[in-house]
Amino acid sequence: MLLDFDRLGWLRYALCLVAVLVGLFLLLPILLIVALSFGSSQWLQFPPPAWTLKWYGQLFADPEWLTSFFVSLRIALTVMVLSTVIGLMASFGLTRGRFPGRELVRALFLTPMVLPVVVLAVALYALFLRIQLNGTFIGFVIAHLVVALPFAIISICNALERFDIAIEDAAIICGASPLEAKLRVTIPSIRLGVFGAAIFSFLASWDEVVIAIFMASPDLQTLPVRIFSTLRQDLSPVIAAVSSILVGFTAVLMLLAAFLRKDKPS
Amino acid sequence: MTTVPTPSLAGEVDLSPEPRRLAGLGAVAPALGLLALFFVVPVVALLLRSVLEPQPGLQNYAEVFGSTTYLKVFGNTFLVAGLVTLVTLLLAFPVAWFLAVAPRRWSALLFGVIVLSMWTNLLARTYAWMVLLQGTGIINRMLMQIGLISEPLSLINNLVGVTIGMTYIMLPFMILPLHATIRTLDPTVFQAASLCGASRFQVFRLVFAPLVASGVAAGVLMVFVMSLGYFVTPALLGGTSNMMLAELIAQLVQSLLNWGLAGAAAFILLVVTLAIYAVQFRYFGFGGGEAR
Repeated sequence: MLLDFDRLGWLRYALCLVAVLVGLFLLLPILLIVALSFGSSQWLQFPPPAWTLKWYGQLFADPEWLTSFFVSLRIALTVMVLSTVIGLMASFGLTRGRFPGRELVRALFLTPMVLPVVVLAVALYALFLRIQLNGTFIGFVIAHLVVALPFAIISICNALERFDIAIEDAAIICGASPLEAKLRVTIPSIRLGVFGAAIFSFLASWDEVVIAIFMASPDLQTLPVRIFSTLRQDLSPVIAAVSSILVGFTAVLMLLAAFLRKDKPS
Repeated sequence: MTTVPTPSLAGEVDLSPEPRRLAGLGAVAPALGLLALFFVVPVVALLLRSVLEPQPGLQNYAEVFGSTTYLKVFGNTFLVAGLVTLVTLLLAFPVAWFLAVAPRRWSALLFGVIVLSMWTNLLARTYAWMVLLQGTGIINRMLMQIGLISEPLSLINNLVGVTIGMTYIMLPFMILPLHATIRTLDPTVFQAASLCGASRFQVFRLVFAPLVASGVAAGVLMVFVMSLGYFVTPALLGGTSNMMLAELIAQLVQSLLNWGLAGAAAFILLVVTLAIYAVQFRYFGFGGGEAR
């Protein structure tokens, strides 16, 4: 009865009410940002007195924002590729390997995800100061790779565990080399997990801000760092424009993910 | 056609060229190397600095636990994390329940909203709340327009602001594990209970609550731990008078260059975090649903 929607009685209305309110609580701030980015008020009045594109104009006229955008994009794409490849190898090792200490290694691989990021940020900052990787592209990639890797490994390991290894064995019996069998049989079958790993790795780097705040130099700032430092000064509507673009970006990624899920092999 | 030897599946076709005992070690080597060099080494080094700088000893820990300023930061960190966890649980429980029982179309819609919010850039979401909560912000102006208040409430740079902003960010992390648990419940158990004469409240208290306890624990611990170490939202929505631990660590490093003290604070945060995970692992397993 408590699990049957039609027989919940008054509880049903209570649940609906909370669900609608929480849904609005989650959705409205995001819609508001998009609305304000087209509003003409410098002071972010709502509803806006008039509609305009000037904040987007200001955004695209400022080379610093564009530079940060491309810095973030370059770092995130590099992290995405490396994290997916390294994660793929590690996942094969974890699910198929029989080496001693395997469970320990698995736990280690997931630890960066559960640790407070600020600890990792400060620790890496100290190390990078010493080996002069602070404020460098390589430094950013390494730091974000540490954060992204657990997501890639979880996603691919899940897919690999569901994959029937007998199919790969069959390919080998039919004459494929072990590597060929993995590349042409196994990896195509677990492609959803691999795509998931790529998307999560990209997002982990693209949205990462805490490490980046420590790591950034005046010459090399990612988009989140620029937003963060701007927000510390004022609530310029230009940020609303940047945020709206990021929201659009997210929506596209969600559609992509939904599309991939539909493509799921039976 | 070449003749293919017909081996027994498990035995003769050696599917891994490496010796069996170390099979897979080569594949995990790159990830292992990366994490050893750029995760284990720096974190351990930072923790060592807490007992080595400025001179070997425990004086950093003595300072952290001896100063009312730092103790206040700890108190505030636990207060915010606790408050956020409580509010999040109260809001997330009905939502997770709704998602598990409502008609598919409605729950899919709400799921879409939850995922959109979760995937939207953290800073964009925090910015939204800065705009909403500021003195001349939309919430204050609306409340003044309908005559509920005559002067703007201070909703930002204080406990209220941090709690609202963090609750907003943590909600999905509570809803999803709760939903995973409620979804797996067997409706016939509930029918059996009510057939045996249990009232609706009794079914809730004696059947529903115990069955979802592990999911609640998983969500609560996860949100609490994540809140403890959170940096961005408290830094932007909180005030100087209610600083949290992560901000303190950042400030000790960036403005005061006091690495020893920062290491000590980081170590304390780390110990608390790992202790809570250990409790979760010990009593509830890793996930929500399957653990009993």
